[in-house]
Amino acid sequence: MSQKPRRNAQSTEKSRRGARSHQITFESRTRAWRRHHGQMAVDSLHRLRRRPLATLMTMLAIAIAMVLPASLWLALGSAQLLDSNLDDSARMTLYLDPALSESQAMDITDRVRGESDIASTELITAAAGLESFQQRLGMSDALAMMDDNPLPATILVQPRSRDPDVAQALAERLGQLEGVSDARLDMAWLERLRQLSELGRRVVLAFGVLFALGVLLVVGNTIRLAVESRRQEIEVVTLIGATHAFVRRPFLYVGVWYGLGGGILALILLTLGRRWLSAPIDMLASGFGSHFTLPGIGLGGSVLLLICSTMLGLIGAWLAVSRHLADISPR
Amino acid sequence: MAMIEFEHVGKRYGGRFEALADLNFAIERGEMVFLTGHSGAGKSSVLRLLMALERPSRGRIAVAGHDITSLHVSQIPFYRRQIGVVYQNHQLLFDRSVFDNVALPLIIQGATPQDARRRVHAALDKIGLLHREKALPIELSGGEQQRVGIARAVVTKPAMLLADEPTGNLDPQLSADIMRLFEDFNRIGTTVLLASHDLALIARLRHRVLKLRDGRLIGDEEAA
Repeated sequence: MSQKPRRNAQSTEKSRRGARSHQITFESRTRAWRRHHGQMAVDSLHRLRRRPLATLMTMLAIAIAMVLPASLWLALGSAQLLDSNLDDSARMTLYLDPALSESQAMDITDRVRGESDIASTELITAAAGLESFQQRLGMSDALAMMDDNPLPATILVQPRSRDPDVAQALAERLGQLEGVSDARLDMAWLERLRQLSELGRRVVLAFGVLFALGVLLVVGNTIRLAVESRRQEIEVVTLIGATHAFVRRPFLYVGVWYGLGGGILALILLTLGRRWLSAPIDMLASGFGSHFTLPGIGLGGSVLLLICSTMLGLIGAWLAVSRHLADISPR
Repeated sequence: MAMIEFEHVGKRYGGRFEALADLNFAIERGEMVFLTGHSGAGKSSVLRLLMALERPSRGRIAVAGHDITSLHVSQIPFYRRQIGVVYQNHQLLFDRSVFDNVALPLIIQGATPQDARRRVHAALDKIGLLHREKALPIELSGGEQQRVGIARAVVTKPAMLLADEPTGNLDPQLSADIMRLFEDFNRIGTTVLLASHDLALIARLRHRVLKLRDGRLIGDEEAA
């Protein structure tokens, strides 16, 4: 193991030079890191573009998996819109004795207004009630044939509290008032509607989770194939000192592009679907005298959907590559 | 300080097959050493341990004074950047040019494009393939591919160069050329460890030879 002095001197010189070349500043490392990110973002996009059909199919699979929960969510959104309208009408109706005169009805209204926990009251006289009934249902002929007005005068009472229990107690109290034949609080069907919308929320959540899992699987499987096809490259760069992050990076970008592309396709599908459905729904709604239109996903919803799909693509890719990297760690 | 130190190193595979048994040797900085033995004698295991592709079952391996057997997985890439490795099948990437293959270690280490170009050109110039930088590896002969593999191994100027049967697929004339390249790098101070079973070639080049048989060191012949 004898060393020639000449070599020793040279090797020390060489190792000093080597040490200097390894003194890389934090700034230059950051710049290199950013440069590699940029390169991988572009490079992975080129790879996808080289196989347009396969890429489009993967993105479409992601889009379909995104469209279903998204449209359910939109449907639920419109139901909630309905729900919030009804929330305002969490009011009660006092049906007055039909025998009462109009001035007596006004007296009762004043008395009701004097009660505690009342936000507002509105008296609908028997005549006014009949008129709006005729207008709304277009049954003027049928009603005109009647001799008497069959409708009682009613007082719409808006309770101050939204609490169902308080409203219930109030309704019972007002029902005891003289001249009030019945106090009806439409809690039951309001409650049912709320349960229905809770059910809807849960269904959307369940579908959302399932389809998110679907996106993860689609991206994960596609990335797994990409990893397989570049196995040799991964092994070579790992042999010459690539970190896991370096190896992962191109695949993560592929996942991001798949997710983003799938999200954009999903938005296009949602827009097309809305257009396609809007004509019959408008017709249907106008038949019911309503101005209901299908809710669009909107800017916020679009951004949220794109973020979700991109994140899912990223996570799916991460899982697929990490599994492979674990395989090639030293044992 | 020794560049490579093996102390009582053993490696078992699957709990039974003993690839290396109580291996002890040291290689000084700037040495050029051949590692010989029949296939299965443990040459590749030694190199795989040195590349931190595997961990020894027993013993300690130090490179430049640092114990590499206890390296954390996240430190291994940075350790590998300090060594250059040449493979029998050269492990080139066939979907990219000679230039890009040689530049790969520099890109991994975050060199600027200008710096990378300068160093790749220097390495290709050294192996005499500067004019083929745009070629794909498939367009090159076996000897040329091996030289590109060497250029990739030395482009980062590692202090230690490992080679696993670098002339295994080459005829004697090309083998001699490749060996001359390794000697050139050794002359400027790089420690070189070459696994080879080409005894005729080894005999002609006068360097220290470590002989392995059944995972044990059976000979350590000093350079003549």
